[in-house]
Amino acid sequence: MTDLLHHARVSRGQFLRMMGGLAAATLATTACSTRPDTTATTGGGEAATELKFIGVADQKTPMDELAAAYRKAVPAVRVTASYAPTDQVQTSLRTQLGAGNAPDLHVVYPGNGSAMSMSQIAGAGLLADLSQQAWTGTIPAGFKPAFQLDGKTYLYSAGSSVIGAVYNKKVFEQAGIDAPPATWTEFLGVCEKLKKAGVTPIALGAQTPWVTQLITYALVPSTVYAKDPSFDDKQLAGQAGFAGSGWQQAMEMYLELQKRGYFNDKPNGTTFEQQTSMVATGKAAMAIQVSAVLPDFRKAASSPDDLSMFPVPGADDPAQVWIPAGVVVGLGASAKGRNVEQAKAFIDFLGRQENVNAWAKAIAAIPLTQDANSAIDPAVESFLPFTKDRAVPFMDQRWPNAEVQPVHFAVVQELLAGDSTIGEALKKMDEAYRK
Amino acid sequence: MTPVTAGRARPARVRRRRFTPASPSWLFAAPALAVYALIVLYPALAGVVYAFTDWSGIGREMSFVGLANFRTLLGDEQAMGSIGNTLLLTVAIVLVQNGVGLLLALGVHARLKSRALLRVIFFAPVVVSPVMVAFLWKYIYNPDPSSGLNGLLGLRVDWLGDPSVALWSIAGMVVWQYAGYSMVIFLAGLEGVPRELHEAAMIDGAGTWQRFRYVTWPLLAPAVTINLMLSTIGGLKLFDQVFAATGGGPGYATETLSTVLYKQAFVFGKFGYSTAVALVLALFVAAVSFVQVYYLRSREVSA
Repeated sequence: MTDLLHHARVSRGQFLRMMGGLAAATLATTACSTRPDTTATTGGGEAATELKFIGVADQKTPMDELAAAYRKAVPAVRVTASYAPTDQVQTSLRTQLGAGNAPDLHVVYPGNGSAMSMSQIAGAGLLADLSQQAWTGTIPAGFKPAFQLDGKTYLYSAGSSVIGAVYNKKVFEQAGIDAPPATWTEFLGVCEKLKKAGVTPIALGAQTPWVTQLITYALVPSTVYAKDPSFDDKQLAGQAGFAGSGWQQAMEMYLELQKRGYFNDKPNGTTFEQQTSMVATGKAAMAIQVSAVLPDFRKAASSPDDLSMFPVPGADDPAQVWIPAGVVVGLGASAKGRNVEQAKAFIDFLGRQENVNAWAKAIAAIPLTQDANSAIDPAVESFLPFTKDRAVPFMDQRWPNAEVQPVHFAVVQELLAGDSTIGEALKKMDEAYRK
Repeated sequence: MTPVTAGRARPARVRRRRFTPASPSWLFAAPALAVYALIVLYPALAGVVYAFTDWSGIGREMSFVGLANFRTLLGDEQAMGSIGNTLLLTVAIVLVQNGVGLLLALGVHARLKSRALLRVIFFAPVVVSPVMVAFLWKYIYNPDPSSGLNGLLGLRVDWLGDPSVALWSIAGMVVWQYAGYSMVIFLAGLEGVPRELHEAAMIDGAGTWQRFRYVTWPLLAPAVTINLMLSTIGGLKLFDQVFAATGGGPGYATETLSTVLYKQAFVFGKFGYSTAVALVLALFVAAVSFVQVYYLRSREVSA
């Protein structure tokens, strides 16, 4: 008996049954794969040229609107757009760019510092030069590094967004707070009052990686750039680093908020969506966020007018309070596409003032250039006094590679988990910066 | 029943082979092999070249850097840490998924009234896309003490946010999804265990445990081999669930080799280095699978 058991193999019946199970399972799994959200933005009629656009989900509202407007203005050209979350777009677009079959138009992040940023893609020779277009002459000087590489413009973006505190006015009122804080000490006081009133002062969804960076970004303009506006240049020249700079102070302030119990319980297990709903429903009083997601907060709230924003005061001297204002995610034309000229013409159309206004309005951004018709979201009005000379672009837009930002996400999560020290965290960021 | 030696066909097949000169040969597999070679082997091998370059993934600029990428890998704290995470995850998944799968299989193999329904229920999670499973489990793993798993069990665990728990939370989610898969394969094995052997063992006075240990278990060996191999490979290359649930965080606590190579290629723009990591992963998976098959095949038996 043992002999017999030792020497034979699996019977055909057994084998077929196993394989049948396997095949069924494989089929079932592959049949359920996900598909990106594709919309034909303009309909009806035969178009001579079809321009393909691939963008991130945040661009859907303004792009659908303006592509339809372009169809009316230029009936021979149809813009077909598809959108997906940032990670997915990054994967598929980089693959297409690498294989040399990029869409005519695609999402591009401003400045440098990410794999889909203007500097990285234009540097590889894959973006069409837009410098001849009239609107590029009006780009404010401070924003030029976001749009231009070696003096040539490769990016279209409708404006800038700011990082600050998205707050629930009703919750503030109920806690007896009548005005947003103007200094760091006042900010801590407001948090204390809110905590005593039984609400979570600040909702933090640090499980969603990009959310981790926003509090540092909100504070660093005051702790670093207000003292030394040329910090980026010094850092690029190797004369300054994260360690030993105002970044140290900003991280200490970040962790002080945690130590005093001003964040929700377990921020590392909380997502952006949960953070949004906490503020929208009044369970938490505020969230440090970028103004581009204000529409998300409003959608989640029963009365959207309850939500507004104020700049996070990162210093005790109001004159030393600076804010982060970054160019919003935009688009570029593929230099290698079949319809380069038509794609550039579409971007030229987007560059007209009324279209800049329309795009900016759809995402609650501050329009790149303004005229009498420019609508500025009332929620970001309190930021306008800063935008002239006390605002700095989002920090990553000047970082030399795409590694610093993800390291920043990771070290903040480690700090919130109590697994690391500020010294170690900044050392890791410096190492990534020098790669 | 005639004893046959390993590697030989059964008598029936031998007889048939003698009478038909045009016996089934590898030529029948040729079309499938050709397609496989064209769309799997060729691109995979052609891609290996990039492991020795510094290509960014876009543009034409590229230079050969020899073994530099592999040297970087040895000194890359994050990648090395991810190897540890990958191994821990794999061991946990292989043990628990197959353990649970076997228990489920034994359960629904019994003559229960509702066994067909139960089989469907246990197998159902397998057909859901892994990314969707991760998103669903993010709700179950809500850190709020009054909702999800915490609410159900009266716990206050930060399932995905606590670096010391997150890895095991992901393992739990994977086991929940794929235990049914293991179950199906074990079931197929169980169906192949002849009733006569059990009856004979019962006459010899064997109890339930003894019959499992000395009749069922040896005959299940082929199913064990397939299950261990598939779950090991699945564990080593785990990506979707980790990426959708934690993205490798908090910090680097759930980073696996797959998430590292994804980030290197698509987030950091280091396609060359990423290919080197992928090559190491592929060789590692191949080596582990080879050893596993070699060892497990040697203990397979048939009724």
